[in-house]
Formats: sequence, C-alpha cells, structure tokens
Amino acid sequence: MVRPSRITIVFLGLVLFALALIAQAAKVQIIEGRKWALRARTQQFRGATLPAPRGAIFDGTGNILVESRQLVQLEIAPGEVRDLSQLSRLLRGAKVDSRSIRTATDPRRKYVVLPGFYPPSDVAALTATRGVHSRPIMDRAYSTAGGIRRIIGRLGPDGSGLDGIELSLDSVLRGDSVRALVARDSRGRTIESPDGWKSVPRPGSDVTLTINRSLQEICERALARAADSLDADGGDIVVMNPFTGDILAMASRRSNSLSSGNTAVTEPFEPGSTLKPFVAAALLERGLAQPDEIVDTYNGQFEWRGRVINDLHKAPRLSLRDVIRYSSNIGIVQFAQRLSPREKYEMLRDLGFGMATAVPLPAESEGKLREPKQWSGTSAASLAMGYELSVTPLQLVTAYAALANGGELVQPQIVKEIKSQAGDVLYRSQPHAIRRVMSEPVARVVREMLVAVVDSGTAMKADLATYMLGGKSGTARRVVQGRGYVPGSYTASFVGLFPADKPQYVVLVKLDSPRRAYFGGEIAAPVTKVVLLAALAARNAALNKGELANAERVEGVLDTARHSPPVDAPVRVEAAPAEIPTGSVTFDLPFSRKTVAADKSVRAVPDVSALPLRDAVRALHQAGFRVRLSAQGRGTTPRAGALLAPGSIVRLSQQP
Amino acid sequence: MAKRGIGVRGRGRWIVAAVLVAFVAVAAAVITRRSYGFAQAGEIKALVARRASLESDRAQLEAAIREASSRARLMPVAERRLGMRVPGESQVIYLKRQSRSGGTP
Repeated sequence: MVRPSRITIVFLGLVLFALALIAQAAKVQIIEGRKWALRARTQQFRGATLPAPRGAIFDGTGNILVESRQLVQLEIAPGEVRDLSQLSRLLRGAKVDSRSIRTATDPRRKYVVLPGFYPPSDVAALTATRGVHSRPIMDRAYSTAGGIRRIIGRLGPDGSGLDGIELSLDSVLRGDSVRALVARDSRGRTIESPDGWKSVPRPGSDVTLTINRSLQEICERALARAADSLDADGGDIVVMNPFTGDILAMASRRSNSLSSGNTAVTEPFEPGSTLKPFVAAALLERGLAQPDEIVDTYNGQFEWRGRVINDLHKAPRLSLRDVIRYSSNIGIVQFAQRLSPREKYEMLRDLGFGMATAVPLPAESEGKLREPKQWSGTSAASLAMGYELSVTPLQLVTAYAALANGGELVQPQIVKEIKSQAGDVLYRSQPHAIRRVMSEPVARVVREMLVAVVDSGTAMKADLATYMLGGKSGTARRVVQGRGYVPGSYTASFVGLFPADKPQYVVLVKLDSPRRAYFGGEIAAPVTKVVLLAALAARNAALNKGELANAERVEGVLDTARHSPPVDAPVRVEAAPAEIPTGSVTFDLPFSRKTVAADKSVRAVPDVSALPLRDAVRALHQAGFRVRLSAQGRGTTPRAGALLAPGSIVRLSQQP
Repeated sequence: MAKRGIGVRGRGRWIVAAVLVAFVAVAAAVITRRSYGFAQAGEIKALVARRASLESDRAQLEAAIREASSRARLMPVAERRLGMRVPGESQVIYLKRQSRSGGTP
C-alpha cells in the first residue's frame, strides 16, 4: 500500500476545501440564491423617496421670485456621541434653542429629532460629528417678503402647495419624485452606489408669471401707505394690461395679520359708482341714450319707488356725460330705466360679473349677480348704482379692460410661461378675447367720459399733468355679515385707464373701511396717481415708453396778452441761502389753480435768471414744468411770465 | 527513487504555495476593490452633500440680495437718508425715437 506523502495530504485537503467552497458557493448562489439575494438586498439597500427639486417661479421680467433650496433636519443619537459637551457647543453655535440642546445631549435618550431646518453650511461641523445624522429637506427661498407671497402661496410640511400659485400649479411645479433603492453601508448610512440609483427624479417645471416685480412693489408700498394713513382695514390694487389681459400687479393688504389669501380674487365687494360707466356703455350700445342727452336730476334728491336717492353734486339736470363725470346716482337711475331688467342682467353677465375669471389662483370668488327673477322692486336702481351685486377686484379690472381695449372682454392671465428643466416650453399665454361686450366707438365715447371724470369730475386728485388719465371713482357702503350696511363703513375705489387714449394700464385701487376720509375720488384716486408716478419713474414697470413718448398731452403755450385776467409780473426766484442744504425754493404763483376756472392748471414761468443752473432747473420743476437744457439763447424759452400748462417744456439756456 | 520523491514533494509544495498565494491575492484584490469602492462612494457622497450645501447657500444669498435690492427695502432708506423722492411725471421725459430719415415716427 502506497502511503501518501504529507504534501499530497495537504494538497488533497486544499482540494477538498476548494471543493467545499465551490459546493457552498453553488448552494448559496444556485440552490439558496434567491433567499440570500433578498436578504442581502434588505441589508444593503433601503427604499427611499428621492424628492424632485421643485420648479422656480419668475416674474414677468425674469427675476426669480422663489426657488428651491435644500435644508437639513438634524437627528441626534446621544449614545453614539463621544463628546456631549462639544456637541452642546456646536448646537449653540448653530443657534439651536437651549431646551432642544438639553434634550439632544441627554445620554438617557436614544434618538432626538431637533425641530427646525438648517442651511447645510451652517451645520457642517455638526453633521460631521459622530452620532449626528442629517435628513435633507427641500425648502423655498423667497426673494421678497412682501405681499407677492399672497400670489405665490406657501408650501405645507409635506412639500405640497397650500395656496396661491404653489397650490394651483402644484402638479407642474413639484416634478416627479421617485421611490428608489438606496445603498447603505454597514452602519446604515446612505452611500452612493450605481446599484441603487436605477431612476432619477424629474425636476419640476419653472413658471413665469405676468406679474412685474417693480410694479408689484410700487403697488404694495402705495397701498401700505394709504391704508396706514387712512387707518383702513385693508385694500387691494390690481394693475392689468388691457390688451393682453396680463395681470401686472396684484397687491392686497388686510389689517388682520392672519389673512394671507389673495383677496383681489377671493373677496368680492359692492363696486358702487365704478359700475356706472358700464350702464352708460349699455345705453349707448343699444342706442337708448346719447352722450349729451339730458335727464332731470332734481337738485340732488329724488324719490323712486319709496326710496330716496341722493347726489353729492346737486344739479337740476345733467347729461349722460356729466352723470358719469359727477357720478350722479339720480342721473344713472333715470337713464338705467331705459334698460329692461334682462338687458341690465345680460350686460353685467357679459362683462364677466357673477362668474369666476378662471385665472389659475385658488379659491377665486365668483362674486354675486342675481338673475332678474330674484330682484326686488328697487334692484334695478341699486344695480345701476353698483349695489346688490358683488365683484372681485380682478373682475372689475377685467371689465374696465374691455373699455380700455375697444370693447373686448379679455381673459385675465397670470401665468406667462411654463418651461421644463430641459428648456421645453410647455405653456405660453396668448391674449384671448372671450367676447365683444361693446363696439369700439362706444368704448371710445365712454373713455372720453372717464377722462372728464379725472379732468374735471369726481377724481381730479388723480389728474396727471403730462398724460391723460381716464377713470371712475366709487364709494360704496359696506355690508357686515348679519348687520347689513354699517354706518360710517365704506369701500372707496378708483379704476384708472392710463394713458387714456391707448391705455397700457388698468389700475384698480380699493380701500376697505378707511376711517379718516372715504370718498373714492378723494382717497383712492390719489393712490392711483402715486402708483402711476412711481411706475413712470421706474426703470421697468411694464410700460411701453416709446408709446408714452407719443401719448403726452399737447403742450399749450398761452399768450399772456390774450389771457385774461392779466397776470402780474413773474415771480422772481432768488437763490437759496447757502446754509440751506436742501436747496428747496418756495414761492407763490400769481394765481392759484382753483381761481382760474377756464384753465385752472396754467401757471407762469418763473424768472430764474438769477439762479445757478441746478437751482434754476429745480425751481422750474417745482413750478410744474419740464426742463430741457439748450446751448443757445439766454434765460428761459418761453420767457419768464409766459403762461403754460403744467408739464410743458421750458427750454433753459446753459449760457450764464 | 529518493530523487524522484524529493522532486514530487518539491513540486507539490510549489503548487500548494501558488494556490495559497493565488487565493490570498484574489481575496486581497476583492477586499481592495471593495474598500476603494466604499472610499469612492464616501467621497461622492461628501461631494454631493457639498454641492447641495453650496446650492442652498447660493439660493439663500441670491434671495437675500434680491430682497435687499428691492424697492420695498431701498426706497425708505433712499428717502430717509438721501432725501430722494419719486419724481413727478413732468420731471420724467421719454425721448421720442428718431426715425432713420431723421423725423419722428
């Protein structure tokens, strides 16, 4: 018998070991392969939802209003932490509140989730510490703290939209999250592994709004100042391009700090006299009245079906044009009787009242417009005066846009474009005319009436020196739920068309329950003027400045010799003393604006010949003139003392 | 006979040694590869976290810049500290665009 050598035994042993390994491998891989693969998968991977980055929201000029950013939530396992005192220092450095720090450094606790989210760079030292785990959270970074958030809306804790655009376009903005297997190491921490990432989340699309951020901020500031100075409960300003329907600004303010909704679309109000131009348009459209047709207005007091109607402007009779100009309740009721209830209802319905505008903002109110069969005996008169119906500010602006653009009711737009992350345009707004609500000549005539309202009617405080502005003021009593009309509580409003001949803006200013004054022409019209002045001075407030350059009022230089009464010698403006740093110059014109009935706005060119050039320019500006410097001649052209309308150009020689 | 026995034993040792070395080499290669993979995964994870952190900081800083340069923030400061104000519309002049022929359009 051959006795195997030791090396042979070792070799055989190795062979047997190898065979055993192969057999075990075959068992593990082939016979029990599925079971082990499942177990390995459970240990090495875990299911996780990979959130898609939410799309950004831009304004109409491409400025980011809100975008996504990643924050982290800190989770601490005190038992794993080696140095709790150092952890405590780091937590204090990250501005974690002391109570949470005590909890997080309590060794008796197993796992603590800290409240709040932190920028990753602020807690980088913390997340590098053993025992501190971080969980990424997607958050929104807002570029503005202002009221534009009422339009944008907010996100809930789960990252879905709660209100505003975030809610209405949630499906577009949120993208597609994916449920994926994520590889993890022996300690359970996530690691990057090509085996784990089978699919990647699709980021949300970017949304561009029609809102112009500069104009929005102008409106918000004007509204805040007006509401504060008048001690009003709140208010709304809406600005729309009447030809495209683009909503350029939508500012809202409420004294109730809990109010975060977009009240310009959610809270309807009784429009009052701002509805009268539409009654006039309906009459003109049907040939039931002429602009200069006169009705009795009974010196400001008229009883109709047991109800006394009053006018602020007391006149025995007024033309339709003047009914609008002076906002005569009696006059409009008299004229409106020529329309049947059905005609009145259809006129208001066709203007979009009583139905949502379908702008993509949540909780939009339809307003209220009752059918004629639900009317009382005085409803027809109430409707003509803007009562017994309620409209949202956006509905009213949309209806006025029809007057501005020549008679077409346009679809309001707030979303300009939706673009995928790949750059594909998924949606782009197009101007859409819903229906024609009046003919172009009728719209033009009504616009002329609105110009008269601002020029010499109830809203003279909105008047601009350089541009024609049309508009209509409204003052309506306010209803409180369960109490009816409350004495002393009013809605003051003004809707302006700027410039009047070819409007680029329709501006609605509405103030709720102002306490120091309440007439729309007195308080809402000046706010409109403030908005327009700031928009004209802004670099980009969605105004076509080329068109505006051609839309200026015709400059009229009145001959002093023909103008009566004769004007005194021009006021000589002396140079301000050097110690007055502002350099402001105060002087009295030889006549006040109110005393010149025929052309109350004309004024004399001051004599600035004694002033340095800078002060001369300032003095001319303060006198209401525009200044152009000229290299030729001496002094001013026209010469000092000439009567000019405000806004007229005075050429000032640079020659000493 | 003895020579042959020594030759077989010597060759057998070499084979055993070679098998052992091969086994160790394969095992070391597998472990090295895995270790390298884990190290790479760790680096990638750190870089991804860093990128997310920088993106977050960028968004935060840009939002802060936009907020700080907004009218709402600047105008009160300009009015209070510099005495600036919104000009009247008569003080804003839009120039008419000249047509190529020299006249106004």
